[in-house]
Amino acid sequence: MDSHPSYGRGPRPLTAGRLSLPWLGPMEPGWVAPVLLVAVGYYLAARLGFAFTLQPHPISTLWPPNALLLAALLLAPTRIWWLLLAAALPAHLLAELQSGVPTAMVLAWYASNCSEALIGAALVRSLVPGPLRLHSFRNAGIFLLCCVLAAPLLSSFLDAALVKLIGWGHGDYLELVRMRVFSNALAELTVAPLILTWAALGMTGLRKAPRLRYLEAGLLFAGLLAASLLVFDLALFDANTAPALFYAPVPFLLWAAVRLGPAGTASALALMVVATIWGAVHGLGPFTGGTPQDTARDMQLFLIAVSVPMLLLAVALEERTRSVRVAREQRLQLTHLSRVAMLGQLSGGIAHELNQPLTAILSNAQAAQRFLANRDVDLEELGEILRDIIAADQRAGEVIRRLRALFKRGETQYQPLDANELVGEVLGIVHGDLVMRGVEVVLESAAALPPVEGDRVELQQVMLNLVVNACEAMAGAAPGGRQLTIRTRADEDGVQISFADQGPGFQAEQYHEMFQPFYTTKAQGLGLGLSISRSIVLAHGGRLWGSATPGQGASFHIFLPAQRAG
Amino acid sequence: MQDCVSVIDDDALVLRSLGRLLRSAGFAVRTFPSAQEFLAGERADAGCVVIDLSMPGVGGLELQSALARSRDPRPVVFISGRGDIASSVAAMKAGAVDFLVKPFDEQTLLAAVRSAVEKDRTARMAREESTSIGRRVAALTPREREVLARVVDGKLNKQIAAELGTAEKTVKVHRARMMRKMGVDSLAGLVRAWTAIRHTDADPAP
Repeated sequence: MDSHPSYGRGPRPLTAGRLSLPWLGPMEPGWVAPVLLVAVGYYLAARLGFAFTLQPHPISTLWPPNALLLAALLLAPTRIWWLLLAAALPAHLLAELQSGVPTAMVLAWYASNCSEALIGAALVRSLVPGPLRLHSFRNAGIFLLCCVLAAPLLSSFLDAALVKLIGWGHGDYLELVRMRVFSNALAELTVAPLILTWAALGMTGLRKAPRLRYLEAGLLFAGLLAASLLVFDLALFDANTAPALFYAPVPFLLWAAVRLGPAGTASALALMVVATIWGAVHGLGPFTGGTPQDTARDMQLFLIAVSVPMLLLAVALEERTRSVRVAREQRLQLTHLSRVAMLGQLSGGIAHELNQPLTAILSNAQAAQRFLANRDVDLEELGEILRDIIAADQRAGEVIRRLRALFKRGETQYQPLDANELVGEVLGIVHGDLVMRGVEVVLESAAALPPVEGDRVELQQVMLNLVVNACEAMAGAAPGGRQLTIRTRADEDGVQISFADQGPGFQAEQYHEMFQPFYTTKAQGLGLGLSISRSIVLAHGGRLWGSATPGQGASFHIFLPAQRAG
Repeated sequence: MQDCVSVIDDDALVLRSLGRLLRSAGFAVRTFPSAQEFLAGERADAGCVVIDLSMPGVGGLELQSALARSRDPRPVVFISGRGDIASSVAAMKAGAVDFLVKPFDEQTLLAAVRSAVEKDRTARMAREESTSIGRRVAALTPREREVLARVVDGKLNKQIAAELGTAEKTVKVHRARMMRKMGVDSLAGLVRAWTAIRHTDADPAP
């Protein structure tokens, strides 16, 4: 039984966040800060534990020092665990010896507190190497089993036995075990996630959060505090209150779990736990009226029953958000990669596109130089030369500007786009290639197309891919028979863009394979073009399909939905 | 006939700049934005042709072969935006003077154009010479041509007289008249002229 009459404040979560950083780096000078923080934190946590003691019979409802120690071990490398445990000793002595407990009991409790932290930390470390992060359902489950269930349970037998041995406590051995298990489990559930999640978030995580998120968190905590105060800390309700009122804070907890992640949820849970215990300790709220043992048990069971699912929910949602983010990031990377690979294929044509204006600039300048040297200066011609040099330079700049946009790896940015304009830009990029391959483009653009909503670079990539495919399909055709027809037209509630070549076409059985990743008929192709193009178009809410008459060429069509009004 | 450089490039900026550069170096220049326009607007100029390799429609290599078949072939200098080996080999095999990869220095272009113009001048002179020799051969009498054919074969007047069934003295007279009409004063000169027409399309009399 932990019964410590004294007052204090709990550890600040932000201190824990900062404190974890040196532990993750290469060691040695880094042990000073964690040792100091554990010592100070342990002392303050013990004072807080004393404050949460039910009178007149001193029953502890929440004993946070063990949880703080356990969280510190979980974040620290195993080789400095002994330092952290040693750091807790002076804090333990300082806090406990003020309360008139016999020295033997104080030392015995130090041993059992350390045993709880060690059991939990060792079990977790054996399953999860490195600092524990509550970022996956698996880790959260391991944490609950090892730190909230096993560690308090196992250490409580030792604790109760020591209490019995020294003769400090009263009551049944198993009753002592039970009280201590609940009190420590609740502390583990409240304090350890708080430290672990904030340590993982750190100051950078906080700074990255958008301003609106702060406002939302402020509203949430204000609402949660109001609901908790109303139900648990004001004299409005007592033990006869309808049990449904207990759940007034739950909507706010759910809100935190869905919107603020594990750190926000752990903070919200801690707030509710503190408010509930504070009310019970002061004889307010629904957890009053019974014996201290019953009151403590009911309250602890209630808080544990609420906290466990909330924490798991927050972690599960976080895990899903992260996997969605990772998948999106990978898609962006793959899209970019295949775009760069395609630009590599176009490099000959791009060099051609840059060589043309460079040739014009050089020849114009050298002609002017000769006219001047020959004193054969026609001012009008000189003006034309300069105009042409400027035009050529701007053209080269335009080629580079377009390329840079395609080479850049950026977030997808949706904006209203004109399909005809997109086709024009794409033809500008491949112009050199078309000339070199002797492909003639016939453009049939419909006037006044509705704007489509999309990412300019990604849609250009899709069209570039279709144009390059068409050119390659016609590589074997006679010089006169390399015509690429590009048609745009308004269709239903969107825009259809078609690319028809005069190549050999394809067989029906090839059709589905073409859209599979790594399917290629080219010597240097990655085989990602069509599959990525299709996924881009699908992400835009559109369709990409092909049709062919063998021997008469293939057509590929993109449908993009029109931008929704308003 | 003045030397004239025809430039064919589908890129208007490049076309104008090349035209100016060649004019600044003293060449008469005509520019065409496509092979079709060049073939349609062609005059039998002396000089050479500068052709961009990759053009839509009729490409550079096709234009080169069309030009070689025309009644007024001229040396070709190719320019290209890419140094692709296959097409440069094809161009050189088909008789191009040079194959320049853009962007090129003025010296490179002017040197190529000068050597092409020089080549054209030589070829033109050879053609003109063989034409005039052909005309002189045509002015010979049948008997004089018979004597000519035997003289360049290295036969003596006596042998010719025997073959033609006539007196050696008569052969001497024919031979002297033939030499005068051909405008040569030695056997070596006669053989040179004869060989020249043998190697051209000019119609040498039998």
